[in-house]
Amino acid sequence: MSEEPLVARDATYYRAPEALRERLRASLAGAAREERRAYGWRLLGIGIAAAAAASITWSVALVTLAPGEPERIGEQVVTAHVRSLMAPNHLVDVTSADSHTVKPWFAGKLPFAPPVADYSQQGFELTGGRLDYIEGQPAAAITYRHRLHTVNLFVWPAKGHADAAPRTQTRQGYGLVGWVKGELRFCAISDMAPTDLVALADLVR
Amino acid sequence: MRADSLLPHLDAAYNLARWLTRDDHDAEDVVQEAFMRAFRYEHTLERAESGRAWLLAIVRNTCYTWLAKNRPADVVALDEESDAPAAPPESNPEVIVLQSAQAKLVNQALEELPVGYREVLVMRELEELTYKEIAEVAGIPIGTVMSRLARGRDLLKRALEKRMRRAS
Repeated sequence: MSEEPLVARDATYYRAPEALRERLRASLAGAAREERRAYGWRLLGIGIAAAAAASITWSVALVTLAPGEPERIGEQVVTAHVRSLMAPNHLVDVTSADSHTVKPWFAGKLPFAPPVADYSQQGFELTGGRLDYIEGQPAAAITYRHRLHTVNLFVWPAKGHADAAPRTQTRQGYGLVGWVKGELRFCAISDMAPTDLVALADLVR
Repeated sequence: MRADSLLPHLDAAYNLARWLTRDDHDAEDVVQEAFMRAFRYEHTLERAESGRAWLLAIVRNTCYTWLAKNRPADVVALDEESDAPAAPPESNPEVIVLQSAQAKLVNQALEELPVGYREVLVMRELEELTYKEIAEVAGIPIGTVMSRLARGRDLLKRALEKRMRRAS
């Protein structure tokens, strides 16, 4: 049965007023500060308790607390993605649906050449690119649109990692797919389910 | 930081709240309250598949609480069982009339739909959520999502036809 897009075509999409956005940003920042303060006290409490324990406990705890690589990268990718969506005009430095415009734009700005292609036919429309920063090094961020969703595809040097097949993870409600190919590391992120992003991963690879 | 990751979904949250409350000011209040709730229940976000759907579920709950308190007449149980089955396919002239329906009429007709149909149409057609996501947000089975969408589209079409006839 075909859907009749009456609502999609004609109904109003109400965007949030800017004043509300500002108000929320301020109150969320306030709430986060409170949270951090409480967390700080808790940490102090744990620290005092732990100082009384044997030092061997410390070294074990430190090893367990060091986050794994996928977690660390996932976290940085989420942060970069959210930042790109929050700041107006931060999403793209070069706006184009043409891969022959976006690809040369990266040349000279990065010590590697990220693969850039438009996949409109397959539902992922190239919208542009920008420079970002992952794992302490410059990364290419290539942006796609999939229906209403914005996708950031981050690409940065793999630093000696062997090729790896796409792996999905969900962090803070965002879907991520990461893989390694040809000495480059890739991670796509969006607010879609990570399984939908695998389609993009397959296209890029 | 985690709560900040909700701000990109603010338009989706506001759009849903605006369509459920049908008022700019009330929508703002509801969204603000929903974001505060979201911040408190943040620990459940890690398990969610989609941050947007997770937030929309909270916005929807906040809306329903608000409606129950301020406009109880809006929260009526849907009479899905005894509702007439979907009408047979409409004839061509009416389809043409519908295609020329103005956005204003569609907005009015959608506003007047019972909230249970209105919300699935908004989530599906304006937010492009999947059936599964809508089922999670609204807390109903996927089958019900699909039947409400069909029924909602049908009711909307009839309401529009009535308005177009009146206008002509």
